[in-house]
Amino acid sequence: MDTIVRVEGLHKKFGRLHILRGIDITIERGEVLVIIGPSGSGKSTFLRCLNRLEDPSEGRIWIDGVDVTAPDADQPRIRRDVGMIFQHFNLFPHMSVIDNVMEGPRTVLRMPKPLAYESALDLLDKVGLKDKAGRRPSQLSGGEQQRVAIARALAMNPKIMLFDEVTSALDPELISEVLKVMKRLADEGMTMVVVTHEMSFAERVARRVIVFDHGQIVEEGHPSEIFHRAKGERTRRFLSQLTWMNSERTVSD
Amino acid sequence: MVSDNLGFLLEGLKLTVGVSVVTMMLGLIVGLAVALMRASRFRLIRTFAYLYTEIFRTLPLLVLLFWVHWSIPILVGIALTPFASAVLAFSLNVAAFQAENYRAGIASISAVQRQAGLALGMTGAQVMRRVILPQAVARVIPITGSLWIALFKDSSLASVIALHDLMYQGRVLAVTLFRPLEILTAVAIIYVILLYPQARIVNHLYRRYLPDAG
Repeated sequence: MDTIVRVEGLHKKFGRLHILRGIDITIERGEVLVIIGPSGSGKSTFLRCLNRLEDPSEGRIWIDGVDVTAPDADQPRIRRDVGMIFQHFNLFPHMSVIDNVMEGPRTVLRMPKPLAYESALDLLDKVGLKDKAGRRPSQLSGGEQQRVAIARALAMNPKIMLFDEVTSALDPELISEVLKVMKRLADEGMTMVVVTHEMSFAERVARRVIVFDHGQIVEEGHPSEIFHRAKGERTRRFLSQLTWMNSERTVSD
Repeated sequence: MVSDNLGFLLEGLKLTVGVSVVTMMLGLIVGLAVALMRASRFRLIRTFAYLYTEIFRTLPLLVLLFWVHWSIPILVGIALTPFASAVLAFSLNVAAFQAENYRAGIASISAVQRQAGLALGMTGAQVMRRVILPQAVARVIPITGSLWIALFKDSSLASVIALHDLMYQGRVLAVTLFRPLEILTAVAIIYVILLYPQARIVNHLYRRYLPDAG
């Protein structure tokens, strides 16, 4: 097996708050790992430790063999290979859509403009937004903005992508267009770590689901195991809430 | 009578505009440098920038002007022309205010924009240059316009160190003709005529760049 991420004994404290309490996990290349769990359970913090937007308080993380927790680790260099998609898109509002996608390759990789432009256009085509290349982010719907954000991350040609509740801020009718793009990435073999409440996505796309609670991994397994035969009482209660929430939405569609 | 001497007054206008333009350009550049120093990783640099801003924002402009014009020659042994003194004193002041404007602009760009840049693999400096500053500067444009108008008016203070600006020419004329009422009224009207359209433009900038601020 080809491991791309290895995490050992990861702890994160914010002052007296102990958010992550000893996370150990390995992620295989090409795997889609879905993380679920109640809010405040540390899912987002875990993702943000992986690309070092947060500094772990304890523990070590290797990404593609590089110890990213080493004191002399070159964070900007490491982050090139780790794409991140945020809940609120966080596009650069002062740039056009295509400039957003070109920004990483141009500024970080020093790619010549014609080359960056061509590949940005291809990526926008891939997420179905080639015709919106010249627009401003503010002129797009939330779903479109999130697809641009995915294209922007893909432009760096990352080895792994982190999705932090990327559909939570979207109107229900816009969620599926984003999930479709993510499904396609998964089918193409992208390694993805996905924090989400979208159970149908997890069931269809994830190879493995882990459940976070109080900063620890409390369940781990194939989606069908987790969703139908969860061991813990808290997990079962959380899952039934999710099912209710998801079905509410399906009805409102 | 005013129209006979309008040329003499407008002669001074050149220096009023000259001092203001040169000061504004210096103030924008130095102000940006000071604002960036306040975001520095190094405490010493931050403290220096903080002290600079606070000292030059609180020093009365007239005190600063006199101090520069009369003390620097004693300290360094070089006599400054009124123009040089005015530009130096006003620039120190404008840069301090503009540094505060930039700093507020930078602070108003949310932390998530910074994270989005970092997540792409940018360095802190690249994030500042490509993501934060372009957005911050756009937000600072209207308040910079207000600063410009204040500077344009306050440049009249330089007449007390014998800069031959609009105000100085007016004072000279008022005294030589014994007509303070007419001449000084004319001077006032010239300032208002020049500044009114500029104030309108600044209002427009506020609506354009900060529509939410009313």
